[in-house]
Amino acid sequence: MKTFIKVTEIWIPDKDRTQLEFGSGLYGELIAFKADSEHQTFAYNEGLPGKAWAEGHPIVLTKFEHSYFKRTAAAKNAGLTCGIAIPVFSGDFLMAVVVFLCGDDEDHAGAIEVWSTHAASENKLTVMDGYYGTLQHFEAISRQFNIPKGQGLAGLAWESGMPILIDDISKADTFIRAGDAKEAGISMGIGIPVSDNPGPPYFMTFLSAKATPIAKRIQIWIPDSHGKQLICQQGYSKNSNDLAEIFEALTVDKGVGALGRVWLTGMPVITGNHEPDYNPELDSLSSMLAIPVIEKGRLKAIVSFLF
Amino acid sequence: MQYRWCTNAPFIKTLAPRTLMNRLNVLLIESDLDNMLLENSLEDQGYKLLKTRYTPAFLALIKEITPDIIIFNLDTPSKKLLTDLQTLNNQAALPVIMFASDDNIDTINQAIKADISAFIVDGLEYKRLNTIINVAIARFKHQQVLKIALEDACAKLEDRKQMDRAKAILIKTQNFTEDEAYHTLRKLAMDRNITLGEMAKNVIAMSELFK
Repeated sequence: MKTFIKVTEIWIPDKDRTQLEFGSGLYGELIAFKADSEHQTFAYNEGLPGKAWAEGHPIVLTKFEHSYFKRTAAAKNAGLTCGIAIPVFSGDFLMAVVVFLCGDDEDHAGAIEVWSTHAASENKLTVMDGYYGTLQHFEAISRQFNIPKGQGLAGLAWESGMPILIDDISKADTFIRAGDAKEAGISMGIGIPVSDNPGPPYFMTFLSAKATPIAKRIQIWIPDSHGKQLICQQGYSKNSNDLAEIFEALTVDKGVGALGRVWLTGMPVITGNHEPDYNPELDSLSSMLAIPVIEKGRLKAIVSFLF
Repeated sequence: MQYRWCTNAPFIKTLAPRTLMNRLNVLLIESDLDNMLLENSLEDQGYKLLKTRYTPAFLALIKEITPDIIIFNLDTPSKKLLTDLQTLNNQAALPVIMFASDDNIDTINQAIKADISAFIVDGLEYKRLNTIINVAIARFKHQQVLKIALEDACAKLEDRKQMDRAKAILIKTQNFTEDEAYHTLRKLAMDRNITLGEMAKNVIAMSELFK
């Protein structure tokens, strides 16, 4: 199964916390690009991760050439054409930057959007940035929308302050673009609040098409009512996966396991097989990215993408 | 030259059989020793004979001409040759007979390690040649049966280890009894139409993700 995202990286502040260094990454078969990336560092406002740090919100870069992107030649060789950088802040302080890189295959449907308010309309969200693969029509429609709090994926995430996963988005009453999404082949979506610093709110939406899903499975983990353990609130994949469901019945203690570490440190993690030759029989779930959703310095949820 | 196995190997000399008692393709690897009697004897027995010298392209040549049996007649096998024979044994095993004059115990041990079917020191008796070949082939076939059985047993043992590990994960994370863990594993495997061993690997891999 092909996924929409080709490369996932975590860039973390170095020991002086003045520049970003490579944390971990999933590169699939893109060995040369991986080799080119592992020794990179990014100063504040430098390259895609540094830019997201400086801007303080997620950014989408749909064209690398003649841009601030630092690995243009390597990305071109690897067939990567677009980058999305999501900074993870706890208050003023950057914990990490998650970078997704996508390619421009012909069969490449899906969307990753950044929503925010702007000065003229503080009560409504609009698409600030977005990458839509081959869904140009859906992109044109999406960029015209203004959504209030409580409507659409981003509006619901805004209202609740929590990640929102809708698994049959083309039929969802709450998803304003349901008809257009259906037409574009989009089957599920997740909206995630992503800023924990002063200023306008920002939300990421990941819209997944069946042929090229954003991830093979997406989970939302939240602290229980006592704040003692993480529980899985929701898990979704195109095909049901009872093995994944067994592990979603677990509770996770702070500091224990990958998700427990995300809770403990406020840092995103990548686990699993980082090598390209993983066993395809392993239910196709060979690696995981877990991103914390932080509000006022506290963990609200963890969103895990299983690839 | 009346027939060739492989027209792409011009350095190979092919010899016509004098009788048609045997239909096996024998590849004779020449050395500096005189092989005239050996060749005549093989031809008399009706073997289809190709001969060549040992070169770095040995493994590629074997792959190309696929003989039924390989015979060496030499003083002593080089390390490189023994390494190649070991590789051949791992990739596409064949009966190999080696007539040598080196009776050094290290050489014998290395030849045995390379799974040579018959290593015969100073024992090239042309009258016994057919018997030597037949015994080598029988021994090779028996070795292959044992090898497959060993691989199968190792795979089963590995599966058992993986299953025990997967059951332990399910017992620990799900508070299952051992019986429940086994039945869960079996149901997951049946639903996916894969073996218990493969399913155990899935469970282990999934638990690794959350480690």
